[in-house]
Amino acid sequence: MARWGMVIDLDRCTGCAACEVACKSENNIPTVSPDQANMGRAMNWMKVTAELEGEFPDTTMHFYPRPCMHCDNPPCIRVCPVQATYIDDEGIVGQIYPRCIGCRYCANACPYMVKYFNWYGPEWAESERQHLNPDVSVRPKGVIEKCTLCHHRLQKAREDARAEERELREQDYQPACAEICPTGAIVFGDLDNPSHRVASLKEDPRAMRLMEDLGTQPKVYYLRPRE
Amino acid sequence: MRQDVKEKMARMSADEQVLLRPLVETSRGFYIVAAILTAITLLGVISYYLQVSFGLGRTGLNRPGYWGIYIICFVFFIGISHAGTLISAILRVSKAEWRRSITRSAELITVLVIGFGAIQPIIDLGRPDRVLNVMLHAQMLSPLLWDVTSIGLYFISCTIYLYVPLLPDLAIIRDSGIKAPRFYRFLAAGYRDTPAQRARLERVIGVLSIVVIPIAVSVHTVIGWIFAMTLRPMWHSTIFGPYFVMGAIYSGIAAILVAMVVLRRAFGLQQYFKLIHFDYLGRLLLLFSLLWFYFTFAEYLTAFYGGEPGEMRAFWAKLTGPFAIPFWTMVMGCFVVPLALMSRQSMRTPRGTLIAGIAVMIGMWLERFNIVVPTSVNPRWEIEAIGRYVPSWIELSIMAATFSGFILLYMVATKFVPIVSIWEIKEGREHSVREVADRVAEYLPAGELAAAAEDK
Amino acid sequence: MRPSRREFLWTMGAAAATVALKGTQDVFWTAEESADVGWAPGIEERRNSACLICPSRCGISGRLVDGRLVRISGNPLHPLSRGGLCPRGVAGVQLLYHPERLTSPLVRAGPRGADQWEEATPDEAIARIADQLQALRAAGRPEALALAAGYSAGTMHDLWRQFLSSFGSPNYVADEYEDGTDAVMASMHGIQRRPSYDLDRARLVLSFGAPLFESWWSPLQAFVAFASPDEDEGPRPRFVQVDARFSRTASRAHEWVGVRPGTHAVLALGIAYVLIRDELFDADFVARHVSGFEDFVDADGQPREGYRSLVTRNYRTEEVSAITGVPVERITSLARAFAANRPAVAVCGTDVTFAPNGLLAGLAVHSLNVLTGSINRPGGVLFADDAPIQPLPSPVLDETARAGLAHEPVGSPRPRFGNGGEALRFAEAVAGGEAAVEALLLYYANPIASSTHPSVWREALAKIPFVVSFSPFMDETARHADVILPDLLPYERWQDAPTPVSYPYPVWGLARPLVEPREGMTHTGDAVLTVARSLGGGVGQSLPYESFELLLQQRARGLFSVRRGMTLGDEFDRKHHSQMEERGWWLPEHTEFGPFWDELVERGGWTDLFYDDTDPHRFARTESGRIELMPAALLHVLNQEGSARELYIDVAHRAGQTPAGFPLRLIPYRVSTLASGTLALERWLAEQPGIFPDVLWVPWVEVAPETARALDMGDDTDVWVVSQRGRYRARLKVSHGTAHGNVGAPYGLRHPDGTAASPLQLLDGSYDPLTGLASWLSTFVRLERA
Ligand SMILES: Nc1nc2c(c(=O)[nH]1)N[C@H]1C(S)=C(S)[C@@H](COP(=O)(O)OP(=O)(O)OC[C@H]3O[C@@H](n4cnc5c(=O)[nH]c(N)nc54)[C@H](O)[C@@H]3O)O[C@H]1N2
Ligand SMILES: Nc1nc2c(c(=O)[nH]1)N[C@H]1C(S)=C(S)[C@@H](COP(=O)(O)OP(=O)(O)OC[C@H]3O[C@@H](n4cnc5c(=O)[nH]c(N)nc54)[C@H](O)[C@@H]3O)O[C@H]1N2
Ligand code: SF4
Ligand code: SF4
Ligand code: SF4
Ligand code: SF4
Ligand code: SF4
Ligand SMILES: [Mo]
Repeated sequence: MARWGMVIDLDRCTGCAACEVACKSENNIPTVSPDQANMGRAMNWMKVTAELEGEFPDTTMHFYPRPCMHCDNPPCIRVCPVQATYIDDEGIVGQIYPRCIGCRYCANACPYMVKYFNWYGPEWAESERQHLNPDVSVRPKGVIEKCTLCHHRLQKAREDARAEERELREQDYQPACAEICPTGAIVFGDLDNPSHRVASLKEDPRAMRLMEDLGTQPKVYYLRPRE
Repeated sequence: MRQDVKEKMARMSADEQVLLRPLVETSRGFYIVAAILTAITLLGVISYYLQVSFGLGRTGLNRPGYWGIYIICFVFFIGISHAGTLISAILRVSKAEWRRSITRSAELITVLVIGFGAIQPIIDLGRPDRVLNVMLHAQMLSPLLWDVTSIGLYFISCTIYLYVPLLPDLAIIRDSGIKAPRFYRFLAAGYRDTPAQRARLERVIGVLSIVVIPIAVSVHTVIGWIFAMTLRPMWHSTIFGPYFVMGAIYSGIAAILVAMVVLRRAFGLQQYFKLIHFDYLGRLLLLFSLLWFYFTFAEYLTAFYGGEPGEMRAFWAKLTGPFAIPFWTMVMGCFVVPLALMSRQSMRTPRGTLIAGIAVMIGMWLERFNIVVPTSVNPRWEIEAIGRYVPSWIELSIMAATFSGFILLYMVATKFVPIVSIWEIKEGREHSVREVADRVAEYLPAGELAAAAEDK
Repeated sequence: MRPSRREFLWTMGAAAATVALKGTQDVFWTAEESADVGWAPGIEERRNSACLICPSRCGISGRLVDGRLVRISGNPLHPLSRGGLCPRGVAGVQLLYHPERLTSPLVRAGPRGADQWEEATPDEAIARIADQLQALRAAGRPEALALAAGYSAGTMHDLWRQFLSSFGSPNYVADEYEDGTDAVMASMHGIQRRPSYDLDRARLVLSFGAPLFESWWSPLQAFVAFASPDEDEGPRPRFVQVDARFSRTASRAHEWVGVRPGTHAVLALGIAYVLIRDELFDADFVARHVSGFEDFVDADGQPREGYRSLVTRNYRTEEVSAITGVPVERITSLARAFAANRPAVAVCGTDVTFAPNGLLAGLAVHSLNVLTGSINRPGGVLFADDAPIQPLPSPVLDETARAGLAHEPVGSPRPRFGNGGEALRFAEAVAGGEAAVEALLLYYANPIASSTHPSVWREALAKIPFVVSFSPFMDETARHADVILPDLLPYERWQDAPTPVSYPYPVWGLARPLVEPREGMTHTGDAVLTVARSLGGGVGQSLPYESFELLLQQRARGLFSVRRGMTLGDEFDRKHHSQMEERGWWLPEHTEFGPFWDELVERGGWTDLFYDDTDPHRFARTESGRIELMPAALLHVLNQEGSARELYIDVAHRAGQTPAGFPLRLIPYRVSTLASGTLALERWLAEQPGIFPDVLWVPWVEVAPETARALDMGDDTDVWVVSQRGRYRARLKVSHGTAHGNVGAPYGLRHPDGTAASPLQLLDGSYDPLTGLASWLSTFVRLERA
């Protein structure tokens, strides 16, 4: 069974945020009004956060592109009263939008703050509806959403592979963020499959996971920047 | 008051006359207050309507401030609900005779406030239309479900625990015929106060008051656990269960005190809510203010001493940061004011306890605020931006409506049941005085010591 | 009357019930609500094309479903971008489906600028334009036509030139990216062309303020080099960023060197000093290819100091350190690294050239490349070729045209070394009444919003009787037009997309329609061809193409017949081709143009990944055939001007006296997620503008904590940024990435209500007289609480 995960090389990441926008485009993530955005209601399944340290001119800055960590031991799913968030056999942590009651408990339980709530129903200008991705459902108001590892791409890739009667290959299933990254900082694949690049990259001495001490066992690894 | 009722009243005992009067006589002030409260409640209902039709966006909630006023009120009101049942049960079990005139008003608070507390998380839902999913797709690992379960159980047991001791009084009203005869005939459920019935009643009450204690404790423990089970700074704490229970009882006592002062004035119950009651409850309040300090100190010291960066962000946000005002007001309300007032005999009067009680209520509300909001807006991951949460008027008016709705319901309830248990007072007068004397005599060593000396 | 208890309760209950009942219908949703996107998918398709949003012209691949453009991702075959994109490119779908897009051509119906319009058909609008232009020619005043054009590399540029020439107008007014490096190259190498940088193969990239990862010619070129996908071919290049603020580029470079504003070139010469002192420069290269290094006798027979003497005498590390604020050891180690990690390349950014001494400063920076011989070598500065597309035939000039072209362009004379500030000079001439312009065409230009002097442009527009805008949006300048003939958007049209000069290999990317063009819109290229046809005469003869698409096909014939290069291909193809060409081989893959064109369209373009570094013309085309460190022409002009400025001496812009009351230095910079533009924003980009997670949509300025403390202003204060020329409102952010005394001011942002917040309109108006480029770094401001 595959165990999908990501390795993000902070040494390569330039903080350009192409991954963030690609994710929004791929997953029909609605935008909110400027006022709402400034209230903290903008949605970014992938969020490139910046960490600025030191004082001028001895400053350093790192960018952390942050999707859902798809924890192997996800604290978010245990607290959900209706099992509207779950982890599947391949380790993808998903949301069941039609079941979610919108209590936001999972959002509070996630230490990585990756869950986003639909405070209002999603809105697009009529013309903008044309660029919605038909593979991804639009979330109604009042439910939680987050990075799905572009699960719809897995489903498609799997159908294609089945139709062609072959195994799923590494390049068949790549999420939108990994695909667009201009520096190749995001590498995606099956962490348990030695032929996938992530399997060896995660053993790199620079590899770490966020807040590893919490025991959440994220499947998103980061490679520390080289000094 | 109608003439026939007046005549019937005249035939009653003095206790009955005083305690049943509110059932048949209503002042103009009552209507005015009720009208105001109704208006506020309606405003809240409209606000909720707006919230549901537009979305939770109408609140001030955001990311990371996912929880706000509603969750604060949830914890607060369920906390208040510990007033009645727990205190009355503990006093009953410990055979504290001074309880007789206060249990009813306290139990009534419990039953009426639980609903208002329990509805808060539903108001807080993004999809209240799907609330039944909690049953259909129950996921028992979620502390929220533990909560649904224990609050449900608590509500049922408290209602029974209110109802059973009401039976003799309901029978009295039915028999007196002063009010809605069919209604009370139904409610009294054939209770005739025969000695056999009375004995069974007392046995049931005895069992209930024991059963209800662990349930009450579980309720607030589990509410504490809702927070403690997450990995968030200053939530993830083993002390939260007992801390919440203690806080709940504390705010409950404060609520009873406030209610007693008001009832005493409104219905002229000086003979029932005596200075001694205020003195005793004031001492209890004093005890809990110390307990509160102990728990709070332990909680904050542990966080501070560990010095974990995530914890420290929330910690300093409360002590010196943007939440310093609510924090130190809470310390004033929960500790300084009650301690200063209640440690003095001269202040354990209705007036003194009223002030202390209100201070504690405000303090305890703020305590819930200081638990929910600062942690919410201070994510553990230090790279995340610190959030801001300012409640919207929708939230504030729903909160106001919760308060007013509860008070309104309580006021209405005083029109249907005597606010002091008539039969328990009577029982006190007829049996307890002697019984207590006997019991106290039993406690004393005299006879047995002498016998023992003889054995040697 | 006193209500009975019963009445009271009933009233309350009824009220509650009414609200509840009325509520339920709207309150309860159905479970299926908006579970899908609202349309059922059908046929899927992928098409390669090119991104036309910035000069980089990356390769894109559009995902189409039922003819809708659903996603834009990268085209892995494109050698520059290799499947990556920047966020602006990805957000292109929101440009295409922007709700503010114009829906039809518009003709002015009320007074100018009153925003009263009548809709017109494209034919009517084109006829209207043709009539007006015909009248100009008939009146014998073709020179009264002008075009203001933004960045339009490739055939659109050539088409406009051809049109204007055959029409008889000398007024092609470029309102586009100009970084002054072409003037540097022209002076030193005699090659009028911007430098290409072989970042992929460099071992050290020393950037003097070039925002490589943000808003450079091609951020993608820099990203790809930074990530070095061909890691097996050698170590990744080391990026060192010299910058006045802690920019995104500085933050992700391997090393950041903070300098005082305006002193980049001083640091460069400090490095040169160490290279010379420690004999770390490439003496052999200098001896063979460079002049002006040693002292010499100039054209007037005067003995002059050469580069070596000037540098050794004036740029001792202690002095450089005092000026730049960079410690002596750091200067030494930078020089050592630059010498040791060859090939190393010094990149000159606009914060060097956008200064009163910009050209001299640019020469100073580039001299490092000359010293280390990083010219025309792998990993250095290259002079690449353009793609060998078929040139347009020479325009047919009739009588009228010849007469018109004999006129000086409006806004002449040009500066001696470049054409910076051309648009502003044009507007000043018109506004000042020195030139009578009768008709102005605006193509990709929105000067009222983008100019440093919008009021001059407003005056100029008021004096021009006929103004046409081709903007697809109602931008600020289009508002002042008489006719708006909206262009198609990039994903609807044919356009060639040559990569910018910074990239060392010619790439002729091809943008082609991904979706059906919106009804009522016209490709500006086609519009020009139609107007030319209806003008007839020389104009018609010069542009005998049926459509812009066919014109592009015509040009591609040049690629078909050139016997080198390839249609875009994957990594294997790329390596294979360049290795073959290195050995002088080339295999034709197509014998017919048709299939060649089809493949070119399908793959998204053509490229030739071979660079001939043995060609001596690529070092210098000066008279001496050498690279001139002391360019004669420049010395001559400086002499002639009686300018007190001296080569390699006056390279800094030091903040002498700050104007009283304006203590803070304004540092405008470009936010990487915003397009050059003054364009209405794409919403996704507005949600990700900077590094401050809590400032979305609103313009901000950055100051150091010390500065904020001195001003007694906290984070998130609303402030006015005030200069002697004007003010705008922004939110204050306190950041350790800014030096005390500076105000970092992102430009291109707007308030959500649409009001601009442009620091460029505060600029003090000083410029480099040699290049005409405005100075962006000499303006001082103060902050006031708003
Ligand atoms: N991403 C992106 N790329 C683009 C474009 C785009 O829209 N978006 N547009 C293209 C266009 S039209 C242009 S003109 C170019 C613009 O590219 P640039 O002209 O390079 O413009 P900026 O990005 O504003 O970079 C200016 C730099 O100068 C620095 N600076 C400012 N003031 C001073 C000072 O006083 N002293 C010194 N030493 N430095 C200073 C700033 O910190 C900033 O890093 O980008 C081109 N590329
Ligand atoms: N506020 C502000 N001012 C600036 C800058 C800035 O970033 N912000 N940047 C400065 C710099 S460096 C430069 S180079 C100039 C650039 O400034 P301009 O030359 O004015 O270029 P833009 O603002 O990028 O675009 C001009 C107009 O082209 C139109 N346009 C967009 N897409 C298309 C299209 O597909 N076809 C056609 N025909 N038109 C289209 C849009 O309406 C846009 O308003 O501005 C300078 N001034
Ligand atoms: S796209 Fe790649 S380089 Fe850009 S922010 Fe995301 S991870 Fe970093
Ligand atoms: S990152 Fe958060 S949302 Fe994602 S699996 Fe882990 S706990 Fe759940
Ligand atoms: S918000 Fe939805 S997914 Fe999250 S815990 Fe509540 S019901 Fe579950
Ligand atoms: S994996 Fe897909 S859903 Fe997750 S962040 Fe990347 S693009 Fe978004
Ligand atoms: S760098 Fe320029 S051309 Fe490339 S994707 Fe971004 S906007 Fe488009
Ligand atoms: Mo520009």
